Amino acid sequence: MSIHPSDSILLVHESIDASALVGSVRTGGDGAIVTFDGCVRNQSHGRRTLYLDYEAYESMALVKMREIAAEVHTKFQIDRVALAHRLGRLEIGETSVFIAVSAPHRAAAFEACRYAIDTLKRSVPIWKKEYFEDGAVWADGELPPVPQDTHTRKSAS
Amino acid sequence: MKVLFFGGLKEVVGGAEEFVELKPGSRIEDLFAQFISRCPELARFRSSLVASRNQEFAAWSTPLDSGDEVAFLPPVSGG
Repeated sequence: MSIHPSDSILLVHESIDASALVGSVRTGGDGAIVTFDGCVRNQSHGRRTLYLDYEAYESMALVKMREIAAEVHTKFQIDRVALAHRLGRLEIGETSVFIAVSAPHRAAAFEACRYAIDTLKRSVPIWKKEYFEDGAVWADGELPPVPQDTHTRKSAS
Repeated sequence: MKVLFFGGLKEVVGGAEEFVELKPGSRIEDLFAQFISRCPELARFRSSLVASRNQEFAAWSTPLDSGDEVAFLPPVSGG
């Protein structure tokens, strides 16, 4: 998949600079910028959350995030995309993931932004541990889709 | 070869990164079996994890080379 050089794909260990990301997708040809700000909620399944700790398989996470960016360019009529995820300890209310998509028209920007966050949550190797007053657990997650038995098929053909 | 464990798996194995000698002809499932023999508790995670080879998700039947980087990944929970 082709890389669009104006896209921003980041893993960061400090606060995400949302306004810089929005600025990075804004061009004169755009009529819309849609953003998604994923932030740390104060409870999970009714238990009060103290903070979250995110870890990633960083090299692979960047590969998968670049794939998502390339994919939204092929699926939607958009201009630029910025995709950033923060790692490490995050307090309640802080931004863990931020996405900005610019497009000439708003429908494509909305759809692409939704697609990007849904795909990120399903396929990018990042994990969060939730810390509560009485302990910590790794959050329930989604098992990414994996190519099945391609090697068996190859050798059979 | 380099083998990585993440999330809860890292805690089960007792480390995030391992270097192992690969038996010739090994597939990802064989490598995982090698770890189960060292750490039997891993067996119950077999159906709820995926593997990657060189930063791409890979089927259990994927053949391995000694220079590969393999990771075992629990369900992802970013965002």
